[in-house]
Amino acid sequence: MSNEFIALAVPFFLLFSAIFILLFGLSVYYTKNRGYTITLGTLFVSFIVSANGVGQKYSMEILPDVFNSMVVYDTFSATFISLFLLGGFLTLAIAKSFVDKTNFFTHESFVLLLLSLFGMVVLTMANELLTAFIALEIASMSVYILVGLNRDSLKASEAFFKYLLLGSFSASFYLLGMMLIYAQAKSTNLDAIAEYILHTELHSQLLIVAGSMLIMITVMFKIAAVPFGAWVLDVYEGASLPITAYMAGVFKIAIFAFVLRLFLKDYITFDAIYDPLIIGGALVTMFVGSLLAVIQQSVKKMLAASSVVHSGYLLIAFASIGEATASATSAIIFYLFAYFISAIGAFGVLSYISKGSDKLINYEDLDGLAKTRPIIAASLTIFMLSLAGFPSTIGFIGKFYILTSAIEAGYTYLAFFGVVSAFISIYYYFKVITHLYFKEAGHVEVHYGYKVSLAFIVISALVVLWGGVGTSLLLDIPGINELNALSKYSVESLGL
Amino acid sequence: MSILSAIIFLPILTAIFLFFVHLHINLVKIVYMISTLAVAYLAVKLYINFDASSSMQFIEHHAWISQYGINYDVGVDGVSLGIVMMNAILMPLVAIALYKQRDKRGYWINLLFVQGGIMGAVLALDLMLFYLFWELMLLPIFFMIGLFGYGKSNFISMKFNMYTIFGSLMMLLSILYMAVEHKEQFGFYSFALDELKNITLTTTESLLVFSGFMIAFGIKIPIFPFHTWLSDTYRSAPMGIVIVMSALMAKLGTYAIWRFLFALLSETSQELAPYFIWLGLFGLIYFGISAISQTHLKRMFALSSASHLSLIVVGFFIYNSYGLIGSSFFIVAHALSSAAIFLMVAMMYERVQTYTIDSLGGIAKVAPLFALFFSFFALSIVGVPLTAGFVAEVLIILGAFEYDTIIGFFAATSLLIPMLFMFKTISKVLYGETNERTQNFQDLRVHELVAIIPLALLILAMGIFPNYFIKKIEPTAKAFVDKKEAVYYE
Repeated sequence: MSNEFIALAVPFFLLFSAIFILLFGLSVYYTKNRGYTITLGTLFVSFIVSANGVGQKYSMEILPDVFNSMVVYDTFSATFISLFLLGGFLTLAIAKSFVDKTNFFTHESFVLLLLSLFGMVVLTMANELLTAFIALEIASMSVYILVGLNRDSLKASEAFFKYLLLGSFSASFYLLGMMLIYAQAKSTNLDAIAEYILHTELHSQLLIVAGSMLIMITVMFKIAAVPFGAWVLDVYEGASLPITAYMAGVFKIAIFAFVLRLFLKDYITFDAIYDPLIIGGALVTMFVGSLLAVIQQSVKKMLAASSVVHSGYLLIAFASIGEATASATSAIIFYLFAYFISAIGAFGVLSYISKGSDKLINYEDLDGLAKTRPIIAASLTIFMLSLAGFPSTIGFIGKFYILTSAIEAGYTYLAFFGVVSAFISIYYYFKVITHLYFKEAGHVEVHYGYKVSLAFIVISALVVLWGGVGTSLLLDIPGINELNALSKYSVESLGL
Repeated sequence: MSILSAIIFLPILTAIFLFFVHLHINLVKIVYMISTLAVAYLAVKLYINFDASSSMQFIEHHAWISQYGINYDVGVDGVSLGIVMMNAILMPLVAIALYKQRDKRGYWINLLFVQGGIMGAVLALDLMLFYLFWELMLLPIFFMIGLFGYGKSNFISMKFNMYTIFGSLMMLLSILYMAVEHKEQFGFYSFALDELKNITLTTTESLLVFSGFMIAFGIKIPIFPFHTWLSDTYRSAPMGIVIVMSALMAKLGTYAIWRFLFALLSETSQELAPYFIWLGLFGLIYFGISAISQTHLKRMFALSSASHLSLIVVGFFIYNSYGLIGSSFFIVAHALSSAAIFLMVAMMYERVQTYTIDSLGGIAKVAPLFALFFSFFALSIVGVPLTAGFVAEVLIILGAFEYDTIIGFFAATSLLIPMLFMFKTISKVLYGETNERTQNFQDLRVHELVAIIPLALLILAMGIFPNYFIKKIEPTAKAFVDKKEAVYYE
């Protein structure tokens, strides 16, 4: 398969399926199960196609005559696209029982899911600010509606409204920033801007610096960094569990993919200006997030708050990009993968045991699960350990890379605060384990749902473990080294 | 797969097998026995094949995370050999002694897990690998306390967990810092012990790195003032894990000081040694005095164990071959004695359902065999002649005198304190009048004798023929002291 084919096939296939389901949903032959199967199949096929582009180093503009070098397809985008296609697939596959037991997953929800993925794919390939904005809005709009999918739930409607308002408001900063950059650099193309920045004195680039900062506000909003992430708890709480997993695991990756490209191409020159801001942001994000996570009573909200903490860790690596470019960028990519697989697994377990109700899962609801359902309990334990960064899980390797890159960049104190925040996180993640294993069961044994969902939960758990200890010397399956090489190639393909 | 990898992974794989395959509890115990006996067999084979004329051997090397220079490096030398042997010997004996009391799968699975974790941590020569096992062995202990502990076990297991993970994370930071320094000075990442030795750090850096490691090790041992988790945890933990903690995990902390801190930060450790010697001596006295006033048997022995561990720390920090040989000998000797005494306490609890010292008494009249072994092990802990502890203590005191007369004097005299509380305990528990709890005290049964007689014989053998055991440590000690002097005179 040629790379150009992959680059075109994946977004078009997603778009085509979306439109197909939109029409098919009106016919009498449509059932929820069929819609679900088609979506899952689309995601699987496009993941397989996209995964072909991973692993070798290349970079090319797609149809330069048509798109005027607005979109590029390189290993970087290929890696990220494969990542969140896999994420979308896993989320949906684990949500099988959830989808079946609820009545609000209409055909539009599948359309929206595919459309949001389409937006993310384009966002990752965008090499131009305006394209990126449009793609971002396609993805965001779809996610807004997905949040409010459950019309019967007051919380979901509230979350939807809040997210929509704040999200649109924050998007306007992006537009303003883009305008400022355009005013000075006379282009919205990332390469052209980079060229301009390189050949201009730093102190005469006021508009670009200001514009980039405004864009950063939008980005900070989307990744829920403190103080822009005030929406996150309510929205994650209001959205139904698979959607929360999707937002925390997949949507966030897409944002990071774009920011990373933006950062590496343009911002890296005025690293000195941004670093203090990012460091401050990282510290505040980690500690406010930790505080929020500690005080939560429900596991879902705790995971939502802890996703803020994880954004904080990623910001540490962002701050280190200037001094330790290679290790920090591959650390970010690895960490995103590590976080996404653990978070999707954790939310997946919650959605599996919530049996489709929109009830919040409290810590007490997990009591004694280890006795009745040992496999689920063990999987959830593995996800918790990974999120907490306990050795022998992928989360540990991710933290290890981030801390190493911070120390390498000379921010040892930042690594120290990262470690302290990881220490706090031990409390709330192990609290889940405590409830799983040490408390007597408060409920009778129930049948939770499909074996399919369970199978994918277990597979994710195994991936988490393998990513923490795996080596290709054993069993000849790609291990940590190979994952590392993937992120390295994708960074190199940006041609820095 | 080489013998060391087999020793590390056999218990872990067995544990995973037992988790997934639901066997009847009796079968679980049999599988546990087979696995631990196999490990014991391998360990004995290792001991026999261990070449007493060289230091590090059986080295195994596989690339793991090559981009960061993290490898699977394991090897064994005279000091780690002792802990490996103890771990391999104690685990089956624990099962023999306790098999009637424990009927939960989780208990045995976690014990297997912790055995593998400890083996890995002892044998690792790569700092990341060490960190991995160091943390992994925490997990089964956490589960054991939470699942089978007494009292407020949830709170206590969480507290223990947070406490030790805090230390580990500080150590992680130190390890990462050293690796990054290695990259800056030599151009590539490495986590291998041998390569990290070569980096140079400024005084401040090495002090900070040192304290990162020391917090982790100090919490595990525990050294004063990191001991506040100790008495709660020992009191609440089930006996299997108490034995693991006092006989193995705490020893691992002292071992790690020697293996990692002394190797990596040799000069800093030597400069700071006097402080830690005094801290150790203070701990020896402090824990000893605390032990005297305890009424709870498990807490009493926990504190007594901490008191002796402080002595081991002193032995390592006096930095000569007497101190090193004495301390590594004491690690083994104390592991045997404390494991045995905790086993005896477990047997006693099974019979009288209490740990309170005051409610016991007169056991010697009704159960002479029990009394004989109990007092033998208790005395071996304080180092009565002919037991292993005696040899070790003499060596450490000799080393202390060689280092400094005043410290030698203090070390020698403060060893009287353990005598004090041990004799007090023996007299209160075994002698005096019987009461309604102890009058029907059943004497030792066959399986209990099977479990403790080997320990008693080993303690005697190590006390009477110490040379046979010490000769395995000597090359390591010699290499260590030579190197230290080389550094010192440079």
